[in-house]
Amino acid sequence: MNSADNLNTLMARYQAGDCAAVTALVECVGPQLHRFFMAQTASRSDADDLLQETWLRIHRVRHTYRPSEPVLPWFYAIARRVRIDHHRRASRTTALERPLEEVSDAAATLPSEEAHWEELETLLAPLSESQREILRMMKVAGMSLEEVARATSCSVGSVKQKVHRAYRNLRERMTAMGPKRGSSRGLS
Amino acid sequence: MTDEDVDKVLQKTSRAASQVDPALLSGIADSINSSLRPVRPLPPTWILTGELAVICAAVAMTAAARTGFYGVEKLGLWERVLIFSTLAILVWMTGKEFVRQLIPGSRQPLSVGSILTIGSAALLGVFAMVFRDYRTDHFISAGIACLLTGLLLAFPAACMSGLLLRRGFAVNPVAAGLGGGALAGLCGVTMLELHCPNFQALHVLVWHTAVLPGSAAAGALVGWALYRRSSAE
Repeated sequence: MNSADNLNTLMARYQAGDCAAVTALVECVGPQLHRFFMAQTASRSDADDLLQETWLRIHRVRHTYRPSEPVLPWFYAIARRVRIDHHRRASRTTALERPLEEVSDAAATLPSEEAHWEELETLLAPLSESQREILRMMKVAGMSLEEVARATSCSVGSVKQKVHRAYRNLRERMTAMGPKRGSSRGLS
Repeated sequence: MTDEDVDKVLQKTSRAASQVDPALLSGIADSINSSLRPVRPLPPTWILTGELAVICAAVAMTAAARTGFYGVEKLGLWERVLIFSTLAILVWMTGKEFVRQLIPGSRQPLSVGSILTIGSAALLGVFAMVFRDYRTDHFISAGIACLLTGLLLAFPAACMSGLLLRRGFAVNPVAAGLGGGALAGLCGVTMLELHCPNFQALHVLVWHTAVLPGSAAAGALVGWALYRRSSAE
């Protein structure tokens, strides 16, 4: 039984009310979703909050999962929406709360971990938000084109096009930065 | 620099070790387990779509039965087939999309906006083919009466559809509202085609067709308002 089949089985048992399946599912999918959020927020406290909010929403709509459908896009579509909602809420209050947030983030995130995720964000900075999102799903979450298309409500063709453009942008940028970039990323 | 080089850099930077606090995971699992009840997965999409189509047909037929089938009685056979088969196809497509909005991560070959555009264009095309009376008697007064009737009828159809697909829409409430509103709007248009005896081309093209985007816009607004309310809580 592969990982996807295992997750499908756990989801079916979760829907049937099996507590052990819930614990196994949270332990299996939770770290993946946490990485997904860390790659976007670079803040451990934000990622923790988003993870909890995502599981609350997953629990509320667990009846919408069908055992015949792939499970990862179902999880990531919800996680993506939670992240969007969080971003919108935050943008409404950022002006007032930013100084406090910065203090708490600095305290909550380990320096090396933060630096690592910020490195990824810096690398993806020149891309559009949708291109960044798709690359994060593919490279951080390890999802296939089909799974990303389902999670983002796009067609596979559209995802392919975004990946192609993102790679072209990154290639041009890395080529322009040359040896300096290469040495900072350990490529030289 | 090749795509493989870019890939290597991305792989390297995205493999950051991110340890989740085990206490956080066990807290989440405990919180879920404390309120865990068995749930029945959703039935297949075609069953839910069929139920939505039955709701639309029942609401439109009931309303037309109360007000009179004057419109459909005046139509010729091929005109009836053309108009009502187009409406049936559109109700099925829109209902299917509405159901997909309920399910996170479902395959969406067309967006709700695309279906709305296609639906409005299809109705305009069919109406332009069928109705050839280009007079404009009482254009505004008769038109507003039809538009309001269509929108008012869309309301119970939307409520019943929403009731059928309650407890969900975790991903995009605005798109779900747009889909539900468009479906209810098609119910309103169906009722108008059954009832309205005014066959002036511009009346049908403008006011009957306007029920669809009008109802969809109202649905999107309701979805947005519900979303704002839930995110403020």
